[in-house]
Amino acid sequence: MVRSQSLSRELVLLGVLIALIVAMTVASSLFLTTGNLLNTSRFYVEPGLIALGMTLVIVTGGIDLSVGASLALVSVVMGFAYSEGVPLWLAVILGLLTGLLCGAFNGLFVTLLDLNPLVVTLGTFALFRGLAFVISDAGAVSQFPSWFEVFGQYYVGPVPLQLFVFIAAAIAVGVLLARGRFGRYVRAIGYNPRAARFSGVPVARTTVAVYALTGLLVAVAAIIYTSRVSSARADSGLGLELDVIAAVVLGGASIRGGSGTIVGTVLGVLIIAVLRNGLFMAGVPTTWQLIVIGVVLIAAVFVNEFFRKDEV
Amino acid sequence: MSAAPAAASRVGVDAAGVRRVLARPAAPAVVFLAILVVIFGLSAPGFFTFENARGILASVAVLGVVAIGVNQVILAGDIDISVGSMLGLCAVAVGAVSTAVGGLILPLLAGMAVGAAVGAVNGSLTTFARIPSIIVTLGMLYALRGLTLVITGGDWVTGIPAPTRELGTGMLLGVEVPILLLLGVAAAVAAAGRFTAWGRDVHAVGGNRSAARFAGLDVTSVRLRAFVLTGALVGVAATILVGRVGSVTTDTGVGLELQVIAAVVIGGTSIAGGRGSTLAALIGTILIGVFLNGLVLLDVPPVWQNVVLGGLILLAVSTDAIRRRVLEG
Repeated sequence: MVRSQSLSRELVLLGVLIALIVAMTVASSLFLTTGNLLNTSRFYVEPGLIALGMTLVIVTGGIDLSVGASLALVSVVMGFAYSEGVPLWLAVILGLLTGLLCGAFNGLFVTLLDLNPLVVTLGTFALFRGLAFVISDAGAVSQFPSWFEVFGQYYVGPVPLQLFVFIAAAIAVGVLLARGRFGRYVRAIGYNPRAARFSGVPVARTTVAVYALTGLLVAVAAIIYTSRVSSARADSGLGLELDVIAAVVLGGASIRGGSGTIVGTVLGVLIIAVLRNGLFMAGVPTTWQLIVIGVVLIAAVFVNEFFRKDEV
Repeated sequence: MSAAPAAASRVGVDAAGVRRVLARPAAPAVVFLAILVVIFGLSAPGFFTFENARGILASVAVLGVVAIGVNQVILAGDIDISVGSMLGLCAVAVGAVSTAVGGLILPLLAGMAVGAAVGAVNGSLTTFARIPSIIVTLGMLYALRGLTLVITGGDWVTGIPAPTRELGTGMLLGVEVPILLLLGVAAAVAAAGRFTAWGRDVHAVGGNRSAARFAGLDVTSVRLRAFVLTGALVGVAATILVGRVGSVTTDTGVGLELQVIAAVVIGGTSIAGGRGSTLAALIGTILIGVFLNGLVLLDVPPVWQNVVLGGLILLAVSTDAIRRRVLEG
């Protein structure tokens, strides 16, 4: 029952995506070219990776506003560790660790004191960004050895390497959520946390794991981002959290928790990417893209939520 | 929910009374604020002056007026994260009317009307169309910023005539007008919360929406009114801001939503709705202002500001959670 519902929602999203692709192809002959699509994908791997983690967070009924700030913190920790003489491979590992810790910090704060994730991650949104500014002292590191380019500027044939990273991560997180015990726990917590606790679901451990995994995905995105732009700065990823949440919610995850799929989220990321790039290729000013994304987001959730009968 | 000092005067020494005062939403923030003032007063030269206090209040007036509105939305169980973009759009409206016809009243009304209209859209989509308010206002955060850029074409509005700038730069009875507006708005909304049915209904609706509906309250109109009030107050805040700055940039209000929610939560209003007060929003705003000011006076490098703000939010919500556990046994 639930399965068929989410399947039909994903079919609708797929229909919307195809309709958009057709419309954009009509609007600009340059849109539906392998070169453009592959090039565009480089810009959406980072929000896409984070959206995978955010889907899990939102399915547990939570939210993470700190992802853009943690991206900046990871980037700065990595860049400045390297510029202080730490070998780059070790700096990259430090970066991954930083992301993991940021996520775990959020998760622990939310579960230990039973606090609202919106407020906690609003606090860490300021905290992580602030730490990034303190560490970098508002400066930037942009001298990386050439092998570092492999993460964000390397192509396998015509395909950017990071696209493979995203596909692998999407499959892994998708399987994690849709099959097996962990995914069942995640959905149970979002659907009814109290019932989940009474049914023996390890609520605290699962929640911390979900936020920590999101932090780890943010770190991977941060490494790709830093390599792609060849720069580690504290103002990276400003506003990223909103793009990511928009993609996840567009993909059908309910902000009330309990439902959402990785397939839906990937479709959500693709729809936003096609919309933004297509409008850009068609010569529509960036300002109109903001309006279109806002309206599409509200309309998508309207379609999702309005026909639910169980709303109080 | 009224001022904590007023409650303190009728308490005396009995434990139940002390417990009642401590249970007030703004109590921890008031204590925090008092400690901060003492620390900065002792350590930061120039902090403990009347001029500095006025400077702090004037600098947080825009934040505070918006926070008092958003506080009502949060009390009613919703959230509004579109206020930053809304402030930008309202500022453009104020600037456009001001440069076209001048004066103070018309630009102010234009700003308030645009804000109230946007608030009505937010509220209608949330209540009638039943879209969660965080999604509605997230969408509006994008859409309104885009609209602002389309309307202005990315240009600044400059040359705001002097009369329009009264609300931002004027003095009345020896006090900056923004301060009087902030305190006036706080007093008016607090009074409405205490003496009108709507003000009391907000808490009921935010505390338990189903129960409020079964008790016969008009839940939809209570939630809708909070959004419209917020919009109108954003219009007032925009007029103050345009007055202070003297021009309108297209990035006016970017990131304001997070500061506003921080102020409300630090003050002690529960993000889950139903618990809180206008005083909480005001105290939270002043706390942020005092902190930023104290850091400047203590020569703390500006890069530390966000760390401190983030730590403050986490500290405030943790204290609140622990306090509730202790008080509720």
